[in-house]
Amino acid sequence: MATITTSLNIATQPAVITSKSQPARLACPVRLNNPWNLGSRATNRMVNLRPVKATPEGVISDKVEKSIKDAEETCAGDPVSGECVAAWDEVEELSAAASHARDKKKAEGSDPLEEYCKDNPETDECRTYDN
Amino acid sequence: MAVSTIYSTQALNSTHFLTSSPSSTSSSSKQVFFYRRQTNRRFNTIITCAAQQTVVIGLAADSGCGKSTFMRRLTSVFGGAAEPPKGGNPDSNTLISDMTTVICLDDYHSLDRTGRKEKGVTALDPRANDFDLMYEQVKALKSGIAVEKPIYNHVTGLLDAPELIQPPKILVIEGLHPMFDERVRDLLDFSIYLDISNEVKFAWKIQRDMAERGHSLESIKASIEARKPDFDAFIDPQKQYADAVIEVLPTQLIPDDNEGKVLRVRLIMKEGVKYFSPVYLFDEGSTISWIPCGRKLTCSYPGINFNYQPDSYFDNEVSVVEMDGQFDRLDELIYVESHLSNLSTKFYGEVTQQMLKHADFPGSNNGTGLFQTIVGLKIRDLYEQLIANKATAPSEAAKA
Repeated sequence: MATITTSLNIATQPAVITSKSQPARLACPVRLNNPWNLGSRATNRMVNLRPVKATPEGVISDKVEKSIKDAEETCAGDPVSGECVAAWDEVEELSAAASHARDKKKAEGSDPLEEYCKDNPETDECRTYDN
Repeated sequence: MAVSTIYSTQALNSTHFLTSSPSSTSSSSKQVFFYRRQTNRRFNTIITCAAQQTVVIGLAADSGCGKSTFMRRLTSVFGGAAEPPKGGNPDSNTLISDMTTVICLDDYHSLDRTGRKEKGVTALDPRANDFDLMYEQVKALKSGIAVEKPIYNHVTGLLDAPELIQPPKILVIEGLHPMFDERVRDLLDFSIYLDISNEVKFAWKIQRDMAERGHSLESIKASIEARKPDFDAFIDPQKQYADAVIEVLPTQLIPDDNEGKVLRVRLIMKEGVKYFSPVYLFDEGSTISWIPCGRKLTCSYPGINFNYQPDSYFDNEVSVVEMDGQFDRLDELIYVESHLSNLSTKFYGEVTQQMLKHADFPGSNNGTGLFQTIVGLKIRDLYEQLIANKATAPSEAAKA
């Protein structure tokens, strides 16, 4: 489930370019200006999608694990084929992505105030005074 | 682009402000000319304000080899922290700070992960990359035009919607193939290659991946082995084009060390590169072997060894500074810094200060951190020289 939600978010996120005042809010596919669809909203469980910061770490770890299994299977047949090499390359790419995600998480420190202030430095709680 | 033409008028004692007008000839900078003519003295003062000149740096290395660390050190030398573009795709690979923008060349993959799997090619293969687009966009950014750059999402393996990149003062392109395509190579003002030996690469990947569930020693080894042929064929040859190569090898101080904790790092600097003067030890062009540990400096095991010599690397004249060992204390670092020459520091102890600022980065206690920091300072020096040169050249040409 989580994977599907995430990929949906990425696909529908508009490329917000310059305006820094507006945080990028995801246009949930159901909440478009289609008043005739109001009736169907109640039945759609994916209405309250929160904006996602970035892909969570568990997702990447699962992908790494899965890709290693795939690579081992592919290479069991023919160790020098292009598919085998491409499979191990995918493992490498995902491992790198996982390690970057881990580093980012460590660097952030997961302090909720810091995270909030990174995106909203002008709010009262986040104002800093440097003389 | 635009070039301005100077019009002479008959008005007396007036200052004319001329803006650049589009014309058929192209030049890489927009210039604004002030033209003032006086009757009593027939001389013209022309002040030019060159628009931003983008300096392009290329950084090549295999994945998991310290590119990100290098990028963080480099942006720190220029000041400010590099962050992904705010409000954009959270999985963007781009980093933006005040002066620098770092673009990951993976964004120019022409085949996404499924495409590569179908064709059986790795990301290292040039067939998986769109070099035409890479060349066009780097050329545009260098000329001061913003581009819509695609985003390659490393998590999903898909190509996401493009993001707008404004031309920065310093553009760093990092990835597997910055120097592969000849046209892109010509656009680079400076290029660096991180050459990690196989043993060290293996040790680093173990450190990185053992924490990941699903990985085992065999899978890490298999991954490296499988990628090796493509790496040797496509990525490795780029090191002959690099202006600076940071080569990381296992240490020679500890016999049979296979943990990869102590490293021997060589900084190979090409001679004759414009605006780049290689670092040297004591006497430029001679061969020096230096062990700083002794009476004035006490080091703990295994100590530090330095070497400096001129050499030949792929038919190029180079100077090589080599460090084997580790720094344990601050005074070792400052002692070493005070004996190296041509570091392009702005004040005494700048290298040490930069290393300490990022003491938590990997390699901060050995040659990798030291040489990455030094290369960062060299790039800053190169940038300042380039900018100064561009500013003085038009005014000199105009004084006739």
